[in-house]
Amino acid sequence: MNAMTFKEKIGMEKFLFTSELGPPKSASAAAIRKKTAYFKNGVDCVNVTDNQTAIVRLSSTASAVICRDEGVEPIVQMTCRDRNRLALQSDLLGLGALGIPNVLCLTGDYQRFGNHPEARGVFDLDSIQLIYTADRLRKGAFLSGDTMKNKPDLCIGGAANPFADPLEFRVLRLAKKIAAGADFIQTQPVFDIDRFSEWMESVRKAGLHRKTAILAGVMPVKSARALLYMKSEVPGMRISGELIERMEKAGDPKEEGIRLAVETILELKKIEGIRGIHLMPLLWESITPRIAEQAGLIQNRPESIENGERNIPDKGMAGNPTDNKEKNRRKST
Amino acid sequence: MSYIGGEEVPPPENLTTTKTKPVSPGERRLSLAARLLEDLVKVPLFRCQRCGECILSHTAFICSQRCPKRLRNGPCGGTGEDGTCEVYPERKCIWYRIYHRSKKLNRFSMLFRTENIHNWELEHTSAWLNVFLKRIEPPVFFRKSKKKKESK
Repeated sequence: MNAMTFKEKIGMEKFLFTSELGPPKSASAAAIRKKTAYFKNGVDCVNVTDNQTAIVRLSSTASAVICRDEGVEPIVQMTCRDRNRLALQSDLLGLGALGIPNVLCLTGDYQRFGNHPEARGVFDLDSIQLIYTADRLRKGAFLSGDTMKNKPDLCIGGAANPFADPLEFRVLRLAKKIAAGADFIQTQPVFDIDRFSEWMESVRKAGLHRKTAILAGVMPVKSARALLYMKSEVPGMRISGELIERMEKAGDPKEEGIRLAVETILELKKIEGIRGIHLMPLLWESITPRIAEQAGLIQNRPESIENGERNIPDKGMAGNPTDNKEKNRRKST
Repeated sequence: MSYIGGEEVPPPENLTTTKTKPVSPGERRLSLAARLLEDLVKVPLFRCQRCGECILSHTAFICSQRCPKRLRNGPCGGTGEDGTCEVYPERKCIWYRIYHRSKKLNRFSMLFRTENIHNWELEHTSAWLNVFLKRIEPPVFFRKSKKKKESK
């Protein structure tokens, strides 16, 4: 990739836009390649999830390699649920060797919610300690104290949930993650702007927004049922009754979901201290280019025009995916 | 340096205790004896999980190891409204309780430091003996005296 890396973009005070890709529940590289087509226009980086909601999927590192080869810069999510400190450190070194620096350190969803509820959860480290571990590795030392010659070049991220209680503790967790070495933070999807603003105010008061790049999460939903499901089944979410009503009343819930996501993004852009948007189109990756365009997230990107390789889509669709794929494949070799 | 409520959130220094030597069989036997006493106090009072690396004094005297994920640095992102645990909805999140108790006891800033990565070598050993053997840091009972030390 000759374009700027995500790390450089963080340093450049640019408005960032990341999205998310869920690897398939099979050994299909084609499924990942197909999805990457949606992210070629204007998306800075794509999160590759690590067995999200504790359901076994294709490995996030392997998916990230496929993603990178397609010309889309990946962020590898790494959870503490499945691996102990040995495996985590070895995977971080692996990322360094592969030249994939971006890693998002998470504690991980509890195994009971997935498709192997009888599994043993590891949780040897927690997310803050994993950030610390990654930071220590990139400085050249293992947790054991041993040192290494070739340090992995890592760009470390963390997650924040502004909606779970208690609010003050959420800000503290963020402060701890930043103190441990997080370069960027992605939040849980925002459905409650008021609460998010309240959280951001505390974050600004602690001066944390100046030390890291905070990307606000946005999730487009397809129906009122999806919202209801999130409210009841996904812990730590705040979804108001009005929002569900609005989705229920809508003639075309999909369109309404897109409109809602765009509105949320525009609101979030106004909040001081927000450095970018992290779109989480849960298994609806195809909608990314359209939302990005409608919310004006792919404007002001001169490099995408200059290169001529990243076409700005005209009406919501990601240009011609196969065309782009060919070009990017040539670009990466 | 980050500040919350005027107090500093320190960067983690060294989160591993692996420099300490492994627990010898003799020490383990001693630990068993010490735990006879320790369990008598800690199990009924705090529902101690015997991690051997006690941080009760940092967490307002509520054992954080009752968390299903055994988190030592605060709640995961799954705390529901009213502070329910995501794994066991019939329970309160242990960190939600720790937060409210530490607020009440004016010990919230005790939660600011990043806790050590758990040394599994010390699992099921006596924390009291470990303090005595200088394997782990002693508990901090009085916050004020600690503050004075820092200002010096």
